[in-house]
Amino acid sequence: MIDFDQLDKTIHEKSRLSIMTLLSTRGEWAFQDLKAELGMSDGNLITHLRTLGTAGYVQESRDDSGTRPRTTYAVTPAGTKAFKSYVDVLEAIVKAMNPG
Amino acid sequence: MSTKQDALEHLRVIRSLMEKAHIYRAISAPAAGLGGVLAIAAAGLTGWQMMQKGGLPEREGDTFLWQWLVILAVTGVVNVILLAREAARRGQPLVSDGMRMALKAILPPLLVGGVLGVGLIVHLDNHVMAVLVWVVCYGLALLATASFSPRSLVRLGWVFTLLGLVLFWAWAANGDIRMMPHDEGPAALIMGLTFGLCHLAYAGAVFLSRKPEAVTARE
Repeated sequence: MIDFDQLDKTIHEKSRLSIMTLLSTRGEWAFQDLKAELGMSDGNLITHLRTLGTAGYVQESRDDSGTRPRTTYAVTPAGTKAFKSYVDVLEAIVKAMNPG
Repeated sequence: MSTKQDALEHLRVIRSLMEKAHIYRAISAPAAGLGGVLAIAAAGLTGWQMMQKGGLPEREGDTFLWQWLVILAVTGVVNVILLAREAARRGQPLVSDGMRMALKAILPPLLVGGVLGVGLIVHLDNHVMAVLVWVVCYGLALLATASFSPRSLVRLGWVFTLLGLVLFWAWAANGDIRMMPHDEGPAALIMGLTFGLCHLAYAGAVFLSRKPEAVTARE
């Protein structure tokens, strides 16, 4: 029987799930690219990135060497592990409710 | 919404975003490097013959076309082998969604470039125009993959397209080259400059900027 409490609540929120999916797929995203891809406002995106950062799932990097500072985000090893576990639990739920 | 529907909806979101964010490299850097070396060797041989003769190399009939078709075939086979090995390492099939996407994007410009280029050589004996068509169409094929290709490949597409246009302009404005008894020498040099040097630069740039791998999408 699946224990639904195994679902990581930090990732389960749809916006954060989207952020984790993009970062896990491509490795590293600039803030502006994430914003454009997800269609989120600056404030909303920052809030979710901070939540993921506090959980240790996402790491922020700032590059001030160019004319404009550039902030990029990447998934940490802990984030990768949590995201994989989250997807495994989702798949297990679907399998358990749709046997055969 | 039931738990199952909720889980399915979340999996759908994950899959859809992974497809959008997916990056597929249709040209393996080592294969590009090999193609570059072969192209430079072929162009270098022509250049050496020109220096020996103090002018154009001897006219060689269909040799020019076959020489470059063989280089294309060797590089293409090596590219497929390397892509297959990479796919196997990731536990994915060779003909993945990424490869299907890439083939759909690159086939039209490659087909146009191939047919026009070979036609220009076989029927009009115009080698320079043929290789310029190859260069521009190859550049457009790479640019057609811009939405899912790594930046390096998109940059390579721009380099080929712009270089092809600039070289066309230079060729069209230069009557001396167009009035040559035959144009296999300049055509080989353009191939060496574009398919040779540009591919070597691309392969070098990819090797220098290699990053740790990201998590891959499940099939």
